Amino acid sequence: MLLIVQIYAACGVAAAGAFLLWGLDRTVPQARGAYAFRPLLLPGLVLLWPLVLWRWAVLASGRAAPPPGRHYRATHRAVWTVLAVLLPALLVAALALRQDAGRDPAPLQLSAPAP
Amino acid sequence: MTQEPFFIGWTNRLPPGMRLPVLGVAAGLVVVMLALSVLLAQGAGGGGAGNWAGDAVLRGTFTARPYPLLHLPPDAAHKQGHTVLLSAFGKAQIPDAARHDGQAMQAAGALIRRGDLDMLAVNDPAQLQPAEGIAPPLPPVKLGRWRLSGEICDGKCAAGAMRPGSGLAHRACASLCLAGDIPPVLVSVEPVAGSVFFLLAGPDGGAVSPALLRLTGVRLQLDGDLERQGDLLVFRADPATVRVL
Repeated sequence: MLLIVQIYAACGVAAAGAFLLWGLDRTVPQARGAYAFRPLLLPGLVLLWPLVLWRWAVLASGRAAPPPGRHYRATHRAVWTVLAVLLPALLVAALALRQDAGRDPAPLQLSAPAP
Repeated sequence: MTQEPFFIGWTNRLPPGMRLPVLGVAAGLVVVMLALSVLLAQGAGGGGAGNWAGDAVLRGTFTARPYPLLHLPPDAAHKQGHTVLLSAFGKAQIPDAARHDGQAMQAAGALIRRGDLDMLAVNDPAQLQPAEGIAPPLPPVKLGRWRLSGEICDGKCAAGAMRPGSGLAHRACASLCLAGDIPPVLVSVEPVAGSVFFLLAGPDGGAVSPALLRLTGVRLQLDGDLERQGDLLVFRADPATVRVL
């Protein structure tokens, strides 16, 4: 299992290095000439390298969908609306389900000391 | 073309329509989190507020089993004597504790106190010296077999070396302290014989099994034999009876 993880990580490092050095400039024109932020992408790229290579290939082939339009903002609004309800609900549920010292059973003497 | 407010990070300002909601949410979050922290702290474990109580020089009888203890002779405040947990600097036990077992010793260090639980951190091993003229401790008093609920903590942090010294937030610290053989304690909510702190021992009166000590930071129930050594309650817990609540 550890060997598989090591191989995956090694492939991720190679893919991330190639993408940051060559792929990013070609697929994201806005990133040309900007370098300081690139190391920050490294962990995510290593983790998601199959997805990175697939998107790189799609974008490089010119078959990619047109740039996102307003539907992204609608999706964004929907996701945040759901999260605004979900996150407080999770917090309340966690507080309700957590162990509470107040619910501990009282000490119980099972037997008296031997004389 | 419709005009919609749109946040742009580098402009350093919010669109007029967003200022009030964003500031309201931010202020609300601060208030809610402060209120939550106060409310949750109300449920923190009892036994008094733990604190560093300054440097102390104590004289008593040293015992190494189940964990290093110093049994102080009876005085006006402690009719049965006073038993103090011992540790070394940081997350470590007194070195070579078995060498001093049963001897009259003088120990100097930092005293940590929470309620009736005292822990002396002997930060310098040279501060543990043989002493003379100290009355031996009273024999242990058996209190029968008990089923107790509570949380396994290390006796140093539970006494007040850390805040919080117990609970899930303290679990990693407690695990490291217990790995360093700091005396473990079971901290209960309801007292038995006047105390909510119980020094944990194995069923044979020796050290607690590592498997049981892994269950720090969770509330659990244990059966075992209880005895009083001086004014310290020692719980010989049976690991086979553990039940996470």
